[in-house]
Amino acid sequence: MNNQEVTTDMTQKPVKGRSLWSDGIRRLRKRKFAMVCLVIVLIYFALAGAIYIDEVLQDKFGEKGYEGISLFQWNESIGPSYQKPWLDYEWTPEDSEMSQEGWTFFGTDFLGRSTWRRTLYGAKTSLTVALCASIISLLIGVPLGAIAGYFRGWVDDVIVWFYTTLGTIPYILLLMAFAVVLKDATLFGHEIKGATSVYLAMGLTSWVGICRLIRGEIIKRKESEYVLAARALGCSNGRIIFKHLLPNVFHIIIINFSLRFVGFIHAEVILSFLGLGETDRPSWGGMIDAARTELARGVWWEMTAATVAIFFISLALNIFGDALRDCLDPKLRTD
Amino acid sequence: MTDNNHTLLSIRNLSTHFFTEQGLVKAVQDVSFDIPLGKTLAVVGESGCGKSVTALSVMRLIPWPPGKIVAGEIEFDGQLLLDASERRMREIRGNDIAMIFQEPMTSLNPVFTVGNQIVEAVKLHQKKSGSEAWTVAVEMMRKVGIADPERRVEEYPHQMSGGMRQRVMIAIALCCSPALLIADEPTTALDVTIQAQILELLRDLQRRHQMSIMMITHDLGVVAENADHIVVMYASRVVEKADSEELFAKPLHPYTQGLLRSLPRLGEKKERLDVIDGAVPNPLHFPSGCKFHPRCPIGKDDSRCQTEEPPLKEICPGRHAACWYAGENKDE
Repeated sequence: MNNQEVTTDMTQKPVKGRSLWSDGIRRLRKRKFAMVCLVIVLIYFALAGAIYIDEVLQDKFGEKGYEGISLFQWNESIGPSYQKPWLDYEWTPEDSEMSQEGWTFFGTDFLGRSTWRRTLYGAKTSLTVALCASIISLLIGVPLGAIAGYFRGWVDDVIVWFYTTLGTIPYILLLMAFAVVLKDATLFGHEIKGATSVYLAMGLTSWVGICRLIRGEIIKRKESEYVLAARALGCSNGRIIFKHLLPNVFHIIIINFSLRFVGFIHAEVILSFLGLGETDRPSWGGMIDAARTELARGVWWEMTAATVAIFFISLALNIFGDALRDCLDPKLRTD
Repeated sequence: MTDNNHTLLSIRNLSTHFFTEQGLVKAVQDVSFDIPLGKTLAVVGESGCGKSVTALSVMRLIPWPPGKIVAGEIEFDGQLLLDASERRMREIRGNDIAMIFQEPMTSLNPVFTVGNQIVEAVKLHQKKSGSEAWTVAVEMMRKVGIADPERRVEEYPHQMSGGMRQRVMIAIALCCSPALLIADEPTTALDVTIQAQILELLRDLQRRHQMSIMMITHDLGVVAENADHIVVMYASRVVEKADSEELFAKPLHPYTQGLLRSLPRLGEKKERLDVIDGAVPNPLHFPSGCKFHPRCPIGKDDSRCQTEEPPLKEICPGRHAACWYAGENKDE
């Protein structure tokens, strides 16, 4: 008895982080490019957070004289309509008044508002919508998938039938239908407007994929011995699903979340472009929509700004999500 | 010997069937046996003879669909388990009847530390705070012979060897001091030295806690050393029941005789081991009459064995066998 313990003690590695998570994060740290992408994503989130805090502060202390950060004043006219970016702008004496404080980097839109500020503000709209939509779709998809996979039988039949039916409807059509219905509707006495209707529509239509994925994983894992052992220990079904099985598939949820996030940013752009999105506040989709008709006149900067913003976050999230999957999914491990 | 002992678990005429797409599988038929308090009963048989299904039936863990207990009674400590509510069963599982499984490699949840898993078992059945439960976990780990338990509780299952994990499984099973421990092939996946340690540990814990053990195995060596009573199962039925020593001294059923003959013996000069001819019958199509007759030296050519199924009858006091010729064998 002692022999065996001595040997295991000797081979014991002094590694502190040892769970699937700490192991995955250690692998992730080694990937420099993925970490750069993570930093880019975090910058976007920090920006959105800063705008959010600034708005809350303005709401609260606006009367007491708090004016907010000027960079986030997207509604302010800072120059003439369709001002070109400062790159090739020739200053005239008449401009001097506003050029002193007017930050015309990236030019202005038809009301003379700064495209730069509107692009920054678009990050808040986009990320809020994508985050809320992801959470809603996870909250619907994960429990439904887990219940279907665990209980099987008629429960499974009903849920599978439901999501298959939903899945046969073309996504954009379904999304538009939901967005139209939810726009200016009232829910529990609250009026739904702007971004809320967008993320509700996206969340309610996009849970099919994650539901199917979780159902498959649960079916695969529910026959494991540790589930039988948990049942033999006197655990209830709910406890087995949520305390024993879901932690085992949680890395899949996280990976799916990060990859899906990009899809939601794009969906928000599409909805805004179609006029179903946020209209009161700037969003990247709204900017592209507004610039569309003016592009022929040579107003290229508004569309460019929004596209570049979308490009960087999409690319960073995709690369980071891929790296996350490589590091967390034990089946894809190579080293 | 059994008569003057209090009976803890009594299984009477248990039948468990599986309603599969290929047809009805009668996995367990008409099985009866008793487990006395503080004793070890071994259920022996080949793969697929219904040993594990019997154990899962006691726990009421037969998955429905496709499985169902269709008849019988299971009395545990005065309660009829088959009539108990699901809620009551959850209280009994883990607390009064605990189970350890064959595969220590997969019976622990890979994403939690072993300490967490012991604490969960404690918290499910006892009103204890987190730190108290943690103390119990460390204490249990020490009891099952894991060195340095304070550090080991923080480890994940993949950091432990098979023997260690089986010790952890035993710790989880025993942390609520169950009256009955069902061990479903507890040592099959382990190598022989670890196997001996685990069995020694179980014996030791049994002595200390006055616990009954139902040990399911196909390893007759394990049985001989540990069991007080033996139930031999073949093709869903009990074919022989006896005290351990008597069964090894004089097996009554031809199947048991065949099993014992096929064991290698020290000092014996033999090119090949004896075997029982043929294979276990498919549970979808059991042979007619005595299910063992196609493989039995007597039953092969006997018309009675081929048409009529022998009941389990008492051959002499304390010994039961299901064979038409069991009594005659004894006289030989």
